Amino acid sequence: MPHSLPSSPKSTLRNGRNGITKFTNCRILRGKSLVKEDLWVDSVTGKIIPSQAAFYDDLILPDDVINLGGRILSPGLIECQLNGAFGFNFSTLLEPAAYAKKIREVNKKLVTTGVTSYMPTITSQRSEIYKSALPHLGPSGDYHVAEDGAESVGAHVEGPFLSPTKNGIHNVGVLRQADGFEDLEGCYGVDNLYSEDGYRPAAVKMITAAPELGRMTALIPELTRRGIIYSIGHSEATYEEASAAVGAGATMITHLFNAMRPLHHRNPGIFGVLGIAESQPRPWFGIIADGEHLHPTTIKIAFNAHPDGFILVTDAMHLVGLPDGTYPWTNGDGTSGIVKKGPKLILEGSDRIAGSSITLIECVNNFLNWTGASIPQALNAVTSTPAAMLGLQGIKGCLKEGADADLVVFSENVNLLGRSELIIDEVWKFGSKVFSR
Amino acid sequence: MRLIIRDNAETASSYVANYIIDRIRHFNPTPSHPFVLGLPTGSSPLGVYRILVEKYKAGLISFENVVTFNMDEYVGIFRDHPESYHSFMWKHFFSHVNVNPNNVHILNGNAPNLEAECVEYENKIKRAGGIDLFLGGIGEDGHIAFNEPGSSLASRTRVKTLAYDTILANSRFFDNDVDKVPKMALTVGVQTILEAREVVIIILGARKSLALQKCIEQGVNHMWTLSSLQLHPHPMIVCDEDATLELQVKTVKYFKSIEKVAREQGFEQILPSSIRTGPAPAPIPKTVVDEVQSPTILAPQPMTSRLLRATPATEYPVRSVSPDLIPDRMADRVGNPDLIRRLTPQPEQQHQRLASVGA
Repeated sequence: MPHSLPSSPKSTLRNGRNGITKFTNCRILRGKSLVKEDLWVDSVTGKIIPSQAAFYDDLILPDDVINLGGRILSPGLIECQLNGAFGFNFSTLLEPAAYAKKIREVNKKLVTTGVTSYMPTITSQRSEIYKSALPHLGPSGDYHVAEDGAESVGAHVEGPFLSPTKNGIHNVGVLRQADGFEDLEGCYGVDNLYSEDGYRPAAVKMITAAPELGRMTALIPELTRRGIIYSIGHSEATYEEASAAVGAGATMITHLFNAMRPLHHRNPGIFGVLGIAESQPRPWFGIIADGEHLHPTTIKIAFNAHPDGFILVTDAMHLVGLPDGTYPWTNGDGTSGIVKKGPKLILEGSDRIAGSSITLIECVNNFLNWTGASIPQALNAVTSTPAAMLGLQGIKGCLKEGADADLVVFSENVNLLGRSELIIDEVWKFGSKVFSR
Repeated sequence: MRLIIRDNAETASSYVANYIIDRIRHFNPTPSHPFVLGLPTGSSPLGVYRILVEKYKAGLISFENVVTFNMDEYVGIFRDHPESYHSFMWKHFFSHVNVNPNNVHILNGNAPNLEAECVEYENKIKRAGGIDLFLGGIGEDGHIAFNEPGSSLASRTRVKTLAYDTILANSRFFDNDVDKVPKMALTVGVQTILEAREVVIIILGARKSLALQKCIEQGVNHMWTLSSLQLHPHPMIVCDEDATLELQVKTVKYFKSIEKVAREQGFEQILPSSIRTGPAPAPIPKTVVDEVQSPTILAPQPMTSRLLRATPATEYPVRSVSPDLIPDRMADRVGNPDLIRRLTPQPEQQHQRLASVGA
């Protein structure tokens, strides 16, 4: 992995210090409620530690005690669909060294938005881009270096095995079908789909593909066997086809409602699999709460249909974090322009939504504002729920003892309608503070 | 006996918390001269802990040089079980204040040798210089720590089987399942508590009123182990009005008047200053006697200290290899006939007197 060396090796602790910080007078996210509890984190191991055992067994007192004055302490946010940020598009062909440098810049900036873990996402591209970019995008948190910023939990490849009629703004010219696993390997690269080394998992963690194309549904069991999540998306799948994919092991739906058939009362399409009609497990699903992709009420319906599967994603383009304006965009073979206006991205010369440029915390606040959901419900949609989808329960997205000490400190603003808005005050990664407002 | 009566649980708890804070501050503990505090668990002291934590956070008190000893712990539940007394103390007190973990002592209910754990606990208290203030609560049956009715008033730290009543009462903390409630506990003994330089008991609520009545208005009785407090030189009971329901009006008025008069006279029933500031550091260098690994000598002890005690010196067999002390006169040994004829106490008479005391 080109960027695997820690940027600044953790300096040894000064004499007598143990690197332990205690947060007190805070409301911490525990399941469906915010509870008044202390939290102890260790910057040496980068973990949340069992405070009682540390006290009685190791006779430890924390170096620092941080009084949060009643503010909210949440696990770091997890983003499952991010196409790029701060001017860097992950779907770019670059020299390895230049690409790695860009990724490190993005990681450091991204963490200031409260996102401590994310899935860098590559849209439908020619094979060479996957093969050159993916080695940089695999899981990057092994060294627990706080200063590196946000960590990748594995890449998300959104395409190119997508339905040409549900391409969104993906370049139709690069879309293809898979008839065997070789097609996937040929497209993404054998090494990016499988790793002998248990210590360094394969780069690809999630594949979005249309299950009705080629023999894709039949390939799902092999993907899940390799620990890769199969997500249904950009698809013309009927309810029956979507159900078959879930039966084969699909556990995720990529931006539910967008780039798929709408819910029809005679055939509920992909959305139907949330109805547990076939007594199958219900998949998780991504929701873009940017005010463009979905109507607020649609979001509320989806949440009520399956609250435990509800994951907020941004699907943000690399323009997130940049000022408004028109930016050139290389998509597959052609170059076109994207107009950025606030969080909105429109393909130049059309009215097509070109992803978003919203941040995850803005999505959380929209969700809070539109649906009247509780703060824990909104935060779970970007912490514990994506962690569960990724199989990272107990490591990410929670404040349990032994979990990674990725934290966000929120202030709560209550607007005139009585709805809460969360403001990121501090971000902590692996037990060290990396951002402060 | 001081009995402090306050209108309600809050003011009673506040009195106790402030009393402890005053004691610690006056004591002015240092690392070499720490304040040794005995601590209870249960519902009665919760308010005291809450106020102590508030005062700590307000910067009014530091627990940096306070050594703590807890009264008891269950046997057979893991240490970090939510109902263990380790967890209780962590949740309600230790996690919020600056107590040094090295100064915290709680009996280990999972020790491989429970009996040795208890003996060692007594030794730890001794090594810490004894307990300056033992805070306690009581059960409805007047038990202090896990010294259930019928416990020896001379008892020391030991393994105790819980009374069925206590197991039933505690089952509410264990999913109402009697089988999940620990059946045994380690607890300090009544004598351990009585040896503290001061004992402060908080008693709240009408449910405890009969126990309070038995312990204050009746005699010393092992069925109400708290009543042993009558033998302590500096006990204090703090209670709310509800807890006095079973007391005679005369008793309540009497104790209230004592407090009132004391306050009017400008002193608050305070302790002798030697107790308030703790024992002076001993000027005499200590002789360290290595423990003899002989099976016949468990703990040689000087005979005189045993004879002076009202209670059995120890529950464990003590045998000395040296011949028993025969009280005699120095004059006899000197061999000077003039001295022998003097009318100093005659050893024979002394011997007889001691024998009659023994009888």
